[in-house]
Amino acid sequence: MNRRLGGVWVVFRRELATVRRTPGYAVLAVGLLVVLGGLVAVGGGGATGFVPAVVDLLLPTEVLVPLLAVVLGYRALFADAASGELGVIRTCPVSAAGYVVGVLLARTAALVVLVGGPFALVGAYVWLTAAPDTGIFATHSGVDSPVLFLRFLALVVPFGAAYLSLSAAVSTIATTRRSAFALGLLALLAGVLGGDLAVLRSLSAGASPSGIAGSLALSPNGAFRGLVFEHVIGVSFAPEGGFVDTGRAVASLVGWTVVGGVAAVAAIALGPRVDVAVEHLRARLDR
Amino acid sequence: MSEPTLAAVDGVTRTYGGVPVLDGVSLSVEAGVTAVVGPNGSGKSTLLGILSGAVEPTAGSVRYPEGGPRAGSEKHVGYLPQRVPFRDGFTARETLGFYAALAGGDPDAALAGVGLSDAAGKRVGALSGGMRRLLGIAQATLGDPDVVVLDEPTSGLDPEMRERAFRAAARAGDDAAVVVSSHDLDLVDAHADAVVVLRRGRVAAAGARGRLLDDHGVDGVAELYRAVAGGAESPASPAESESADDGEGGRDDGEVHVTGVSER
Repeated sequence: MNRRLGGVWVVFRRELATVRRTPGYAVLAVGLLVVLGGLVAVGGGGATGFVPAVVDLLLPTEVLVPLLAVVLGYRALFADAASGELGVIRTCPVSAAGYVVGVLLARTAALVVLVGGPFALVGAYVWLTAAPDTGIFATHSGVDSPVLFLRFLALVVPFGAAYLSLSAAVSTIATTRRSAFALGLLALLAGVLGGDLAVLRSLSAGASPSGIAGSLALSPNGAFRGLVFEHVIGVSFAPEGGFVDTGRAVASLVGWTVVGGVAAVAAIALGPRVDVAVEHLRARLDR
Repeated sequence: MSEPTLAAVDGVTRTYGGVPVLDGVSLSVEAGVTAVVGPNGSGKSTLLGILSGAVEPTAGSVRYPEGGPRAGSEKHVGYLPQRVPFRDGFTARETLGFYAALAGGDPDAALAGVGLSDAAGKRVGALSGGMRRLLGIAQATLGDPDVVVLDEPTSGLDPEMRERAFRAAARAGDDAAVVVSSHDLDLVDAHADAVVVLRRGRVAAAGARGRLLDDHGVDGVAELYRAVAGGAESPASPAESESADDGEGGRDDGEVHVTGVSER
């Protein structure tokens, strides 16, 4: 392993150990499991099959997964900066990019377990309890299948990763733990509501409804919802698709994750220089 | 001092909210222990932050002939901030293991070097203030950096711990330039090879300790301090010295006495 990758790996292991030793995260995962289990039990989807269960879970997932991702992400980079340990770490031969990548990868791995675990258990519950028989692996559309739930699960992780990355990025400009959480929640609200409100506004302003499939994909929630309709729910009743541009939606989820990561790297690498630039600007204005 | 320069501070100024905390500071740092002393708010922590690369100067520069922070694949500068920042949930050994994995070095040897071998398995959150500072010193010296920057490593410690902290710093100074800020002038007298006195963001005196004492006709660093930083606040008690050092500086409109070969 070369030195650069070695630095990423060292930071990754430390961050993962930190998450593992924070019992609050496990409590959150248990809470998520209780809520998801309750929803599929009460909603009736769980007793019917995977696709009905996904229908029951879709809307809560659009709020709960970003919320858990923000909780996982808002302190990821803020903690070291606030304690002053970032200044110590930066004296070691690890770049800002290596540090951010290590932290975000570890937090994403935690997200896979803490979010993916409860969803996987709910899927297992559906498999064991749903009737008619859901043990069929669909080879054609119109048939409920565990594969469709696996697709849903595979979409939940990048959806959460986008919010994790964005909340970590906005937390780099926070000065207190409270403001870091507030900024994370702001990113959550902007993502959950902002995209849909923007689409509604463009429609009311006269935009063509045919453009919805494209514009919906621009926000993380729109992209996730569109992909779930296109590749999970719609497979059963509308195999022709057309809910969202798949390529654009995938690019959107990956893009938001990358944007968050790049912004975090820039904030950590250039933050002190920006601080100095502000001082210069202040001095110029005071003249 | 006749050792080669390991860090050269050249005309460094740093303002916060438009208020200069450091103002045109120039000095050279060589192998051995260089103590930075001065009243609260004189800019010690800012100067040490700039030396470590944690703080960017608004003007001026720092040159490291052997390589500075973030240069290449070696650790060139070690840093212990005023507030020891390690994560409470990790043991002392895990903490040093993390830094050793990044920068090289043997965590067990580093723990032994500061007398913390018996506390290796203790969580950082369970360590006393003195042990945390010793752990911070061990971390700063891991990887054999050319320059070790220690911001008030003795603040809030009992006399025995202070002596241990300074001895550990002095040992590191055998091979590196150790820059240490302190209000503990007796320990500075006992261990420092060179002294920099800051007053209101400027260098009031700097140079080899013995020569500075001769130049000013004084017997110890405490007297030197009173002579060149007189009129400013006197050195704080250990409890007071825990307080932040930055952000209170103002311009020194009085005459500034600058002396010493290490000043540039």
